[in-house]
Amino acid sequence: MTELASVPRRTHPLSPFAKAGQGLSGLVLAVFVVARDVPGGFVSRLGLVALLLIAAAVLGWVSWWRTTFWFDDDGDLRIASGLFYRNERRLQLSRLQSVEITRPLVARLVGLAEVRPEVAGGENAKIALAYLSEDEAMAMRAELLARAAGVRGGHADAPVPEERPLIRVPPTDLAISMVMNHWVIIGGVVGLGFLAVALATGRIGGFVAFVFTSGLPGLSLVTGYLAYYDFTVAESADGLRLRSGLLSTRAQTVPPGRVQAVSISQTLLWRWKGWVKVQLNVAGSGGHEGNDGSTGTKGGVILLPVAPVAVAYGLLNRVLPGVDVPGIALAAAPRAARKRAPWQFNQLAVGSDASVFVARGGWLTRRLDVLPHARTQSVRVTQGPWQRLLGLATTHVDSTPGPVAPAAKHRGATEARAIAEAQAVLAGAARAAFRPERWAVRPEEPAQPGEPA
Amino acid sequence: MAPDLTADPFAPPPGGWVRVSPRLAFVRRAIGLAIVLPLGLLATVLFAINDLSVWAGINLFVMLLVAVWIIWIVGRQVRAIGYCERADDLVVTRGVMFRELVIVPYGRMQLVDVRGGPLARRYGMSTLQLHTAAATTDAAIPGLPVAEAGRLRDRLAALGEARTAGL
Repeated sequence: MTELASVPRRTHPLSPFAKAGQGLSGLVLAVFVVARDVPGGFVSRLGLVALLLIAAAVLGWVSWWRTTFWFDDDGDLRIASGLFYRNERRLQLSRLQSVEITRPLVARLVGLAEVRPEVAGGENAKIALAYLSEDEAMAMRAELLARAAGVRGGHADAPVPEERPLIRVPPTDLAISMVMNHWVIIGGVVGLGFLAVALATGRIGGFVAFVFTSGLPGLSLVTGYLAYYDFTVAESADGLRLRSGLLSTRAQTVPPGRVQAVSISQTLLWRWKGWVKVQLNVAGSGGHEGNDGSTGTKGGVILLPVAPVAVAYGLLNRVLPGVDVPGIALAAAPRAARKRAPWQFNQLAVGSDASVFVARGGWLTRRLDVLPHARTQSVRVTQGPWQRLLGLATTHVDSTPGPVAPAAKHRGATEARAIAEAQAVLAGAARAAFRPERWAVRPEEPAQPGEPA
Repeated sequence: MAPDLTADPFAPPPGGWVRVSPRLAFVRRAIGLAIVLPLGLLATVLFAINDLSVWAGINLFVMLLVAVWIIWIVGRQVRAIGYCERADDLVVTRGVMFRELVIVPYGRMQLVDVRGGPLARRYGMSTLQLHTAAATTDAAIPGLPVAEAGRLRDRLAALGEARTAGL
């Protein structure tokens, strides 16, 4: 593949069919429902479906034929596509944040996979190679990560890096953890109440209310379960690999040093089991919306859907090597904060060591946010009128968009500014000491000047 | 380096705040009044021709109250905006009711925009907008004299390039 890497290639020839497979059932249904009034009855509707299918197949095939990808002379990935208006996109691999391989159900059945490289700041540049054969997809992932790491070309002939499994979430734990959520239980109880009323009175309104309070959230529980089924975390030379999924599967690879921030959270009922959830901010991740196995909120990656606290901290050690998060001394919020945030007052605390900033908070759902100083984007102090009366202010330590937004909430007003200034200094020092973007490049090789962040 | 933190978390850094052009207050007042006054007058006229003179009076009074409030609050808001270029970062402050102070390291600036609406440009002002990889950074300095905005943009871009760090 090395010498072939710069030759434009196409995705797998079955791609248009696998893509069409996803929309097929919808199309057929739409034609039969919407086109009920087409004269000629069943046969002509069948003909319409056939016509549409042929048109879609031709379009799909031509657009597949017109899409090629290759590695350019700078070692970056290029994709050319477009039926009439040609569009060529370049994926700057020095900015690669993670690589995801997804296998939507239809593609999985025919042994195909989609490769999604995620690039920082690539809001409009979502690139997906759909589909490649599974072997090809894995080779592509290895190639992308190797090039991003600074091992330019030549790496692909080496075997795909071996994986060492670290953690597997048992499906029963996942199921129990999803039900053990106060909102799910409240929704369920309220929904059943509506259902009982509906059955007793025979009014349709009760059923509608049941669908909205129990039915739809229940459905999202099921899709969540399918998406996170058999969640495993493995370690390989090119990063942490997160796999999950029952029907559609996905495997996301987060290279070392691409983690922007981490949060460990615990909902009310999980305290009883000692479970927590671990989420990450990864720049440029999670922008794919809507379809199939892509999971996690925008800009975020779920590192562990549910795990015992000790396991989570063990994993945290691998994500942030050399950081003893539980060992960092936390300072509680001043007493005045009780008036501003009575429910979470007991949890409010912040701390900092040489490498990370830590903030704790939350009432029903408690959370601990961790942000490496080197990843700090900016620091903000904010104060609302009620806070001013109490002599409080909040210091936000800004991370890339995602589920983790660390903040020292409701600190003493002067302390808030002191925290902000201290964070700015720590962040500056950490940035200066940080290793280059291309993590496999040896330190004595200078990082390329002007490498954008 | 250490600012005086005796009481105010928004105390100026040692160099003091650079304030923005007072003409910004004029432009913002003009925009505010251009929205409030015609609407208020229209409502007043509608009340009056429908023989609801009491309501017309109340409406007129409220309209004047709002107008005075706009003139007053905009002045305070504009006077609250300030920035300071320090050795390693840019500090921006703003807000009267909800106060904010942002510290943006030069090495984290990804993009520095200068923009300005037609009215602002007419009065020789631009807005400088800083972007980092965090969507929450939200550091904009409105009401900069055009020349100062250009100078600041060039300086920030140069500093940013010299100190840029990987995400």
